[in-house]
Formats: sequence, structure tokens, C-alpha cells
Amino acid sequence: MNLTLRQTFIIARRDFLAVVATPTFLLFLLAPLFMIILGGLGGTGASQVAQSSANASRIAIIATPEDEADLRAAEKRLRPLLDRFGGPPELQYVPMHADPKITAYGLLKSNKADYIAVMYGPLEQPEIVHHPRATGSSAFLAELAEQTLRTRKGGLFGDMTLSKATVTATQTSVSSVGGRQTTGYLAVFTIFLVTLLLAGQSVGMLAEEKSNKVIEILAAAAPLEAVFLGKLIGMFGVALLFVGFWGGLAAIAVTAIPELLAAASLQPAIGMPTFLILCGLYFTMAYMLLGAVFLGVGGQAGTIREIQMLSLPITVFQVAMFGLSSAAAGSPGSSIARFAEVFPFSSPFAMAARAATDASLWPHLLALLWQGLWVAITILIAARLFRVGVLKSGSWKSAFGFGWSKLA
Amino acid sequence: MSSNDPVWAEGLIKRFDKAEAVKGVSLSAPQGEIYGVLGPNGAGKTTTLRMILGIIDPDAGERRLLGESNPRNASHRVGYLPEERGLYPGMKAREAIAFMGALRGLDWNEGRKRAGEMMEQAGLGASVDKKIRQMSKGMAQLVQLLGSIVHKPELIVLDEPFSGLDPVNQEHLESLILAEQARGATILFSTHVMAHAERLCARLSIIAGGLVRFEGTVDEARGRLPMRASYVPVKDDAELPALLPADATKIGDSWRFTVPEGGAETLVLKLIQTGHGISGLTMERPGLHDAFVNIVQSAKAEAAL
Repeated sequence: MNLTLRQTFIIARRDFLAVVATPTFLLFLLAPLFMIILGGLGGTGASQVAQSSANASRIAIIATPEDEADLRAAEKRLRPLLDRFGGPPELQYVPMHADPKITAYGLLKSNKADYIAVMYGPLEQPEIVHHPRATGSSAFLAELAEQTLRTRKGGLFGDMTLSKATVTATQTSVSSVGGRQTTGYLAVFTIFLVTLLLAGQSVGMLAEEKSNKVIEILAAAAPLEAVFLGKLIGMFGVALLFVGFWGGLAAIAVTAIPELLAAASLQPAIGMPTFLILCGLYFTMAYMLLGAVFLGVGGQAGTIREIQMLSLPITVFQVAMFGLSSAAAGSPGSSIARFAEVFPFSSPFAMAARAATDASLWPHLLALLWQGLWVAITILIAARLFRVGVLKSGSWKSAFGFGWSKLA
Repeated sequence: MSSNDPVWAEGLIKRFDKAEAVKGVSLSAPQGEIYGVLGPNGAGKTTTLRMILGIIDPDAGERRLLGESNPRNASHRVGYLPEERGLYPGMKAREAIAFMGALRGLDWNEGRKRAGEMMEQAGLGASVDKKIRQMSKGMAQLVQLLGSIVHKPELIVLDEPFSGLDPVNQEHLESLILAEQARGATILFSTHVMAHAERLCARLSIIAGGLVRFEGTVDEARGRLPMRASYVPVKDDAELPALLPADATKIGDSWRFTVPEGGAETLVLKLIQTGHGISGLTMERPGLHDAFVNIVQSAKAEAAL
């Protein structure tokens, strides 16, 4: 193994063990209690997204012009009765063409609008297809057919049923636009939260070395870039242990109570396994990118007080990246989403959100390369700033120059 | 000076905030020798060593370390004890030594094994599994020194290695340095305590005000000052001071003066002929301490001009 790489992992190993093999690490592991509280707040945000997506839901009836007129009249009578309870989603009437069944399933899978239930066929025996959780809308459509027939036939048929609907729930894999956005938001929030909890610690990572003078030993033995990367990897190892522990518990909970996963209604467009892998990779990138920034900024601090003072701008920076990425999750494909996907420090969050709403894989490969490049650039700049600002070697101008020092 | 020497530097200059800390230092430490870098506080010794090691880059000048123009490329062949000692307080001594060796390319397990043996030899066998924070400052300093040589480097750079050590540990350290030299290592160390340099160094540089004011052997440094005599006459009377050199001063029964350039023979003959006799007479070269003080004071006087 290359000596620089070896040195990187030796520093990472030392940092990892220095954190994990202490009693305070147990306190660190309890941090999810705090996370659960924040998670509640995040859930509110996510439910707002979900609510807005619910407002965007549609139901549809594929009907002949004659049926449409009668159905509209029935809707006009029924809807005011139901509106006080939130009411069914907006109903759209779709002209009947060749095969209404194909049209119905096409509407449910549409990316343009969020159709959750569609009725087609003769009103006496209508077919209703709906998303699993749209049973209320499905019942509304069935009742419309029934009321339309009753009106046509002069009403008063006692408990006799005139319309016998066949109701079919679609597979859960058919995801809705709202569900995808919710999934995207959850991905952004989760990655942000875990990064906030873990990457922010890197701001004080060099304080130990500076206060006990070990930095001189490290700087003499290894390139500063290796020192910085090693420290980041060490802390990332701690983060992985943390995420692995709680993620494992969550997995056990989901295995024991499968309804939890169903209730979460996670429907990433790219597919759940790929989505989870991408989220893991984007968490790694988010950690490395933000961690490198914080490590570099913290390295310039001379005292613990200065490090404490730096906490605020660092938290503000993180929240700004979260805000940008949340906006991206809320409006996929918009110019703000594109900006958040390209801007290096919000890119991991925004791309995780994109994985929830867009099935194409190549943008993720490109984004991971882009983010990896920025991890390297950030570490190089941080190391150079440290060399200039703390070790007093070279000039500030040279820290941003293009003559990158060799790692080996 | 040869650029093939393990340590070679030519015209090193370093500025901090526009002030020149090192103004053009050149030095060369020959293979297998113990080379001293001497100087008063703030002379630029540490900055020079850090430039030679590649921890910081010089603003001007050239350096070669073990034949490498980029000192970082030789870092695994070098051992370094910085002036400001630093170890992780929570680490066990054995682990600290192995960690420092691993940073220089030594296998971690081999480092742990060697750490135990070295600590045993240094009289720290009972503290192998003690954490650094549980050790005394002197013990921790020895641990750090062992950490800087555990990978058996070709070159060992020690910045003020004796400071903070009690006399017993200073003896330990001197033995250790000599043992490393016997192994074949070249040793470069800085100090402002002349006794160690006098005992250990084959050659040395004296830096003052950011410049090398002297380069050579200990004897050459001492040779820069004339010999001093301490004379006790048989008969001490009013005529005696006139016979002695002008700088003669009386301390107790003895007269102290600089031995005249031509030697002491003429003076001794005159003293005997005039009946003052010789009850006691010693002549010796001034020590490195005096030479050092003389060189540094000359540098200060030169700077004041």
C-alpha cells in the first residue's frame, strides 16, 4: 500500500479508536433521542409536503358525454356533503376512447398529474382502479355511479343497488408523484440530520492535535492532506458505527412490524434497493464535503473559544444547504432543484431527493464523481490553508493556486 | 559541505509576517555523525530544522534530506523529536510508540513489539501499558523519543531533546543518542545547553540572529578564543601586576589572564627571574560555553552596528 494511503488510515484508525473506546461514546450513541425529537419536527415538514401532494391528487372518470353530464350533476349534489370532511380530490372527466382500461392504468401511472383513483365502464358495472390508500376516493366514485343511475331512474329504489362496481387496488410499486416527493424530502431530511449530528464534530478535530502539539509529529511524518483525510475517515467510521447501530435497530423494527414500512409509504422512483445504496453514498459524500469544510475552518481556530464561535456560521451553512435541498425536493425538475443538484455542498442532499422522483441512474454516477472531486478540492484547500495559516508556510495566494502539492 | 550529506541546506531564508527569522542558513551534517545546531533562544534553530524536514517551506534557499530535494519523500527514513513535545494523553505508551512508527511506515505490530523492548531498555518497562497522562513529563518525553526512533531511521533530528529532563534522564538520552550513532544513524540535534553538545557533537553550527556564525568542530569553536591562565605566585607584591598581561585580574590568591599570543614561556621565565616564583599555574582553552557566548555576543554587536 502507498505510504501516504497507509498514513491516512493510521490516522483514521487512531481517531476512530480514540472516540469509540471511551465512555463518552455511549452518550454519543444516545444522540438519537434528540434525533427523534427533531424527527418529529421533520415529520411535520414532511407531512406538509405530503399534504400539498394530497391537494394535488386527482380522481378521474372515463365516461361517454351522456354519462358525463349526469355524473357531473350527481357530483354537484354529493360534493358539498363531503367537503366538510375534507372532500374527495378534484374529479376530472376523461373522454372515452379506444380502451378505457388502458387509459385508466395510464392515468394512474402518469408522471404529469397524481391520479389516485379512476373509474371506467358502464355505470351499472363500473370498474374502479385505485392506489392502495385511496379507498375513500374509490368509494366516492362508486357512489357517484349509483346516484347517477338512481337519478336517471327516478329515485326511490330502497336498499336495491343499481350500480355494482368492481374495485381493484393497484400494486404498491406504482408510486405517486406526492409519494416520491415525500420520499425525497425524507431522504434530504435524514441525510441532513445525520450529517448535522456527525459532520459538525469535525470542526474541533484538529483542536486536540493543536493543543497537545501532536500536529507537529503528524505534519512531519505525513502530508497534511493525508492528515486531513485520515481524520475525516476516522470520524466517518464513527459516524458509520452510529448509523449502523441505529439503522440496524430500525431494520429489526421494520422486520418485526412490516406495517411500519407500509405506513411510511416510501416510493422512490429509482427503486428501493438502488435508492438506499444511493442514500448511503450521498451520506458519505455529504459527510466528507461538509466535514472537510468544517475541518478546514476549525483548523484555523486558535482556541476552543474560537471553535465555539465558529459553530454558529457552520450550523447556518448546514441549514442553508438543507433549505436549498428541501426546496429542490419540493419542486423536482425546477431551476432551483438543478442548482441544488450542481452546487457541491447541497448536491448530495438534492441528488438523494432526485433519486426519489427520477428513475434515471446516470445523473447519480455523474454527481458522485462531481462530489468526489469537490471532496478532494476541499481537502487540498483546507490543508493548504492550514499550512499557510497555522504552520506559516507559503502564502495565502499560494493556498488557492493551481500548483497542487503532490500527495505522495 | 557536500550536497551528498544526509542533511544539506544552502541559503535557507524564512520570513514570518515580513520579519526574517532565518536569513540564509547553510549547513551540512555528514553521514554517521552527531551534528549540533546551537544558538540562543529565538536564533532560528527550530525554524531551520522544520525547513530541512519539509514541515514548512523556505522562502528561499535549497535543501536536501537523505538525497531527496523534496524532504517529504524521505520522511519514512527520518525520526523527529519536535521542540514542543506532543503525545495523545489517552494513548498507552506502547501504542504511542507504535503509532509514531506506523506513521513512518513501520508495521504496527512490529512497532508494538519494539516499543516493549525499547521501553524495557530505557528503564520504563513498568510503564509500557500506562497511559501518557499517567506518566511524568520526563517519562513521556522519553516515550516520544523512543517513538521517533522505533522505525530505526537513517537520520534522527532532535529539537532541544534535553530540555525538561532531569540529569539521570539526560544521561539516558545521551547513551541513547550514542547507541543510535553506533547503529549507523546520522543525528542532528539542536540545543542551547553547551555541555551536551561538547560531549556529543563531532561538528556543529552556531546560529544567532538567523545566520550561521560558526561552523566546525567543538575544538575549532573553542580555538577561536585564546587560552586562559590561572597563576598563583610564591611572592605577590606591588610589582607583579606590571609583569602580567594587561587583562590580569586577581581572584583570591590567583591571577587570571589571557595567555599572550607568543605563548607563556617568556612570561613564566620573567616571573621566575623576578623572584615571584610559581606556586600554581594552569592554562586551558575556554569551553564551548565561552566560545558560544563570545560568538553570540559578537553577532549581537554586529547587528547593533
